Amino acid sequence: MSEAMPPQAPHISASSTSTRANRTGSWKYIRPRYRDGVAPCNARCPTGTDVEGYMNLLRQGRTADAVDLLLRENPMPAVTGRVCHHPCELVCNRAQLDDAVAVHLVERDLGDRILAAPPPSFARTREETVAVIGSGPAGLACAYHLARLGYPVTVFEAASRAGGMLRQGIPEYRLPRTVLDRQIEWLEGTGIDIRCDTRITIDDSDDLAGFAAVFVATGAHRSRPIGAQGEDGPRIIPGLEFLKAVNRGEPPQIGHRVVVVGGGNTAIDCARTALRLGASPVVVYRRTRNEMPAIAAEVDEAMREGIPFEFLAAPRAFHHIHGRLSGVECERMELGEPDASGRRRPVASAHGTFSILADTVLTAIGEDAGTEALPHGVATDDGRIVVDPLGATRAAGFWAGGDLTGLERTVADALGSGKVAAIGIDRALRAKRGEPVPVHDLAELRWSGGNMSMSRWRGDDPVRRTDPSNERIDFTALNPAHFTRVARQRETFTDALDFSEANRGLTALEALDEARRCFNCGVCNECELCLIMCPDVAITRRPEGTGFDIDLDYCKGCGVCAMECPRGAIVMTREGL
Amino acid sequence: MISDAVPRRELLDSGHLACPGCGAPLAMRLVLKELGEQTIVVLPACCWSIIAGPYPQSSLHVPLYHTAFATGAAVASGVRAALDARGDTETTVMVWAGDGGTFDIGLQALSGAAERNEDFLYVCYDNEAYMNTGIQRSSATPWGAWTTTTPAHEPQSTRKKDILAIMAAHRIPYAATASISHPVDLLMKVRRAKATRGTRFLHILSPCPPGWKYPDERTVDLARLAVHTRIFPLVEVENGVDWRFTADHPGDPIGPYVRAQGRFRHLDEAAIGRIQADVDARWEYLCRQVG
Amino acid sequence: MRKVIVGNHAVSLGVKLARCEVISAYPITPQTQVVEMLSEMCATGELDARFIKVESEHSAMAACVGASAAGARAFTATSSHGLVYMHEMLHWAAGGRLPIVMANVNRALGPGWNIWVDQSDSLSQRDTGWIQLYCETNQDVLDTTILAFRLAESVDVPVMVVLDAFYLSHTAEPVIIPEQALVDRFLPQRAARHRLDTAAPRAYGALVRPEDYMEMRWDQQLATTRAQTAFDDITDEWARLTGRAYGATEAYRTRNAELLLVTSGTITSTAREVVDARRAAGERVGLIKVKMFRPFPSVALRALLRGVPRVAVLDRNVSPGHSGIFAEEIRAALYDVACGERPNVFGYVLGLGGRDVTPAVINEVIDRTRAGTVAEREDLWVGVKA
Repeated sequence: MSEAMPPQAPHISASSTSTRANRTGSWKYIRPRYRDGVAPCNARCPTGTDVEGYMNLLRQGRTADAVDLLLRENPMPAVTGRVCHHPCELVCNRAQLDDAVAVHLVERDLGDRILAAPPPSFARTREETVAVIGSGPAGLACAYHLARLGYPVTVFEAASRAGGMLRQGIPEYRLPRTVLDRQIEWLEGTGIDIRCDTRITIDDSDDLAGFAAVFVATGAHRSRPIGAQGEDGPRIIPGLEFLKAVNRGEPPQIGHRVVVVGGGNTAIDCARTALRLGASPVVVYRRTRNEMPAIAAEVDEAMREGIPFEFLAAPRAFHHIHGRLSGVECERMELGEPDASGRRRPVASAHGTFSILADTVLTAIGEDAGTEALPHGVATDDGRIVVDPLGATRAAGFWAGGDLTGLERTVADALGSGKVAAIGIDRALRAKRGEPVPVHDLAELRWSGGNMSMSRWRGDDPVRRTDPSNERIDFTALNPAHFTRVARQRETFTDALDFSEANRGLTALEALDEARRCFNCGVCNECELCLIMCPDVAITRRPEGTGFDIDLDYCKGCGVCAMECPRGAIVMTREGL
Repeated sequence: MISDAVPRRELLDSGHLACPGCGAPLAMRLVLKELGEQTIVVLPACCWSIIAGPYPQSSLHVPLYHTAFATGAAVASGVRAALDARGDTETTVMVWAGDGGTFDIGLQALSGAAERNEDFLYVCYDNEAYMNTGIQRSSATPWGAWTTTTPAHEPQSTRKKDILAIMAAHRIPYAATASISHPVDLLMKVRRAKATRGTRFLHILSPCPPGWKYPDERTVDLARLAVHTRIFPLVEVENGVDWRFTADHPGDPIGPYVRAQGRFRHLDEAAIGRIQADVDARWEYLCRQVG
Repeated sequence: MRKVIVGNHAVSLGVKLARCEVISAYPITPQTQVVEMLSEMCATGELDARFIKVESEHSAMAACVGASAAGARAFTATSSHGLVYMHEMLHWAAGGRLPIVMANVNRALGPGWNIWVDQSDSLSQRDTGWIQLYCETNQDVLDTTILAFRLAESVDVPVMVVLDAFYLSHTAEPVIIPEQALVDRFLPQRAARHRLDTAAPRAYGALVRPEDYMEMRWDQQLATTRAQTAFDDITDEWARLTGRAYGATEAYRTRNAELLLVTSGTITSTAREVVDARRAAGERVGLIKVKMFRPFPSVALRALLRGVPRVAVLDRNVSPGHSGIFAEEIRAALYDVACGERPNVFGYVLGLGGRDVTPAVINEVIDRTRAGTVAEREDLWVGVKA
C-alpha cells in the first residue's frame, strides 16, 4: 500500500483571479475629463487659422491633412508665411520655455508646397453670385472662402494686376512677385473670376446688378499728412506712393539722404527699399523701439542692414533752401501716459530740437481709406467703415473688410476679415432662402474670442476634439516638465542688398522639426502620458486618432493624469459623479 | 513622443488596493512593462502586500511570492537557485520591497545577497516611512519629517540612510536611482538592469499622498521636484565605481518641495536651510563620485 | 556499501542521495560538518545542487522557502540558536506547505553558551507546523533524511530531522549507504503541486481574510495528521527495499511490562541496555521509543501504554514552569484512556545541556518510578546538584 497521496494541491493562499473584481473607482469624489481647449496661437491668429492643429498633423507626418486644415482658413499661406506679422508667435506658450515656435516659417513652407501643386477646384453648389471689389488680401480671401462654400464669385480690381497692397505696397524683397503671381494664379485656378482694370464705383450701379451680395475691400491708399511745417514742399513723398512707384518699376529720384518718418511696416519697407535703391535712409519715430507697430523681425532686419533709427523724435518742420529740401527739424520727445491704444503717448521733452539733413522725406504714419465703391452715406467711424461682427455694412447687401474697416492694417487681419464676411454672406444668403443657419452664437465660431473658424461655421472640423471648450490654454495650464528645450529653427538671410527675397526661410526638414516644437497647447495629441502615468491602469487607448477611454470603474480620481498632461487637455471635475 | 519609449504591455491590473495617487503601483507598472512576463516577483511585507490584492486575487500578471519582512533578498536567492537548478536562467527574479524592508529589516539579507552577487533585480520603492502600518519612521525617513513615531515637536532627527552608496559599496554590477517622474530614464535603467547578470539594485522614490500629506495629484510632480532639487538625484553606478548622472538636475531650491508636504509643515526657514545644506553636501559628494 | 561515518556526514550523504537541488545554510556548531561536506560535494560536482551561502539562518530558511516555492527540492541544516533564529520562516515554510527538509542537531540554548545536546531547540518549534523525526543512530539519521524528503513531498509539509549533538553528530558509527539507483526509485525528482511559474502566474501568500484563513489551516492540519499514515507507508516501502524498518514509535521488550520507559534520540540506546539488564534480572520493564514528535502519534502511544501501571518519560528538555515536553504530550494523549487502564506517568527532566544520561541515571529513574505509586509532581528532575 502506498502512502495516501493528497487528492489535490494543498489549499494555500494561491491567487489567480484579477483585482478587477474590485471596483476601486467607487473611492473617487472627482474625476478626470478630456477637454480640449484653444491654443493661444489659434486665438490670436487674425486669419483664424488652426495653427496648433496643422502643427500636430505635421508632427504625425500627415502633411496633406495639415495642408487641408490650413487651407480651410487661409487661402495664401505662402504670402502670410512671408509678410504676416505673426502675432501667434508673440503669444506662443513655448516662448516661456525657450523660444516661440517659428509659425510663419512652417506656414511658409506649407504655402510653397501648396503653390507647387495644382489648386483644388471648388464645386459650384450655390446659385447666388457674389461680387468682390478689390483684389487685395481681404477681397481674395472673401472670394476664396465663398468659392469654397460653392458660390460663383467675381472679383473686380481697378489696377491692371490683382493683389492690391500685396502687389502695390509690399516690397519685392519681402514678397517675391513670382510667389504672388503664382498665388493669384492658384486662386484663379480654384474658379474665382478676377477682372482687372475694372474700377467699380457705386454710381455705376449697373456693374453690380445681378449680384446677390457685394464685398468691398478697396483698402486704404491715402497717406496721412504729418502736420508739420513745410510738408507741402518738394521731395516730401508719401511712403506708400514711393513703394507703389518702386513696385511699378518706376522708382522716383530720392537722392542720397532719405528720412523716413513713422514706425509701422510702411516706414520700414520704405527705409529698406531706399537702402536697396542706393540711398542712406534714417528712420525717425516719435516713440521707442518697444512701441513700433512694425513687425519686429523686419525692424531687426533693417537694423541688421545698418539703417539708423532716431527714436523719440517727431518732425516739426521741413526746411527748404531755394526750393530744395534741405533738412528735417525734429523735436525730442519722451513717453508720457498711455493713450487709447495702450501705448505710451509721446510728449515734447525739455531736450529741444535737432535737425537731420535730407534729400527726400518719406512719410509713413498711416493711410486713410476711400469709400467710393460703397453706397453713399454708409456709416463710418473716424473714416473707417462700420461693420457688424460678420462684416456687414449698414447698407443692405454690402459687406466690407480689410483696411477699409476698423481693423489692424495687416495682411492677416485683411484675410481674416474676408473670411468673416464670407461667413456673413453665406449666412445671409442661406437665411434669405430659408435654409437652416447652423450656428447662432457667433462666440462659438471664434477661437476663444479670436477670429472665426470656417470649419466651425461649416461644422466639418476634421480635427477630433474631445468635449471641446473654447477656453484659451495659457502657460500656467501646461506641464512644461514634459518638454525639453529645443532650439528654434533659424531662417537664413541673403546678404545681397537687392530686391531678391531677403529671407530664405527653412528647408522642408527644418520646417518639420520646427512643427515638432509645437506644444499643441490645450489639445490632446495622444501623447499617452496620461495613460502611462495612471497608477490605476484606468486609461486605455481607443483606435489611433480617437483618443482615450477612462474606466471610471477603476479611476480613483487621483488627478495625476490632469496634473501631468503636458498640454492642459484634462480637467478634474465632479460632473457625472 | 513618450509613447514610443514605453512598452505597451500591461502586467498590472486595475482594481489594486493602492491609495489614490500612490506612486508605488505606478513604479511597479513601469518596471514590469520593461521586464515583461518572464518575471517572478518576491514581495516582502510592504504597502504592496496590500496593493497586490487579497486572496484569491492578484493585481499582477506575473508570479508573485509574498514573504516575511526581512527576507526579500534571501527568498529571491532561493528562487533564483531553483530556476537555475532546473535550467531556467532567463526568467528575471525581482524583489520588490519598500524602504522598511530594504533600509531596515531587510538590509542584512540584502547585503548578504549583494555580497554573493545573487542574480536578481532588487527594487526598493521608497516612500520614506512605514506607510502600510500607518506612517512610522524608518531609516529612509528624511531629517525633519513628521511621522506617527516622530511627532512634529520632535521630528525625525537623523539623516536618511544613503542606500545607494551602501549598495555601490558592495561593488554589485549595477545600482541606480530612478523616478516615476522620469519614466524614460526609469525604463532605460530597468532595461539595463535586465540585461545585466548578478545583483542589480534600483531605488525608486515613491511619493505617498497620505504619508507625506499632499494632494493626490502631485505624486509625479513631487517625484520630479525631488530630482530637480537634487533631493533625489538620478544616478547609476556600475560595479560600484563608475558613477553617472542620468538626468538634468537644475538644483532648484528645495523650498517648494518641502513646503508642498504636510509632513514638513512644522519646519521653519532655518530647518529648511539645514536640509538644503545637506542636499548640497550630498550633491557635492555625488559630483566627486561622478568625477 | 558500509561506511563508518559521523552523524553529520550521514545527513550530508542522505541529502546527496536525495538529489537535493538547492541547499542554503549558515554555520553553527555542532551542525557545521553537514554543510561543510555538502559544500565540498557541490564544489566537486558530486552533488548537482545550488549551495547558497547565506548570511544567517533566517536567510537560510528564507532561501529554502524561495527555492521550494519555485519547485526545487531544498534543504538546510542548523542547530540551537540558528533554529530559533529562523523561527519566523519555519511558519512561512509550513504555512506555505513547502516540503523543505532540515536537519537540526539538538543543542542547548544560551545563555550561558552551551553546545551540548538538549532538545529544547527543536521542541520549542513544536507549533510551527513542521514534522519532527528524532534519530537514534547514524543509520537512522541517513535513512530518515531520505525518508524525510519523501514524506514532506507526499503531504506538502516540511520535515525536521533531529539528531543529538555529538552523540550522533560527531560520533562515528558503521552505516550502510544505500545505492543511488535504489534511492532514485524511492524518491523521484520533485514534482511540485504549486510552484512559481511564469506560464501560470499566481500570487502566493497574499492577504487571507478571516473567512478564508481557517480552511487553509484545516487543510494543513489534515495533511500534517495524514503524515502519520503516510510515514507508515513510506517506512514500509523503505523496509522492503532495505530491510531497515522505522516507525513513528518503536516498542522494545514491552510484553507484560509493569513499567515502560519512554525515550527519544540517543538516550534510547542507553535505555535499551538498561532494559535488557533489568529483564535479565526478571523485572518487567520495557521501552517505547518515540521517533515522530509531530504529528504526535497519540493513537499508537495509547495502544502501547494502555494498562501499563507506570510510565517513565525521559525528557532531555523542559518547558520551564511546566514539565518535560514529551511527558506533557504523553499525559495529554493518555487522558482519554479509561480510568482503570490509564498509567501513572512519571515525567523526568534530565541530561539538559549535554549532561550524561548514563545507565545509572536511567536505573535511578526506574527505581524512583517503581517506588512511587503516583508521581508526586509533574517535573521530576534527575541529578540536580544541591
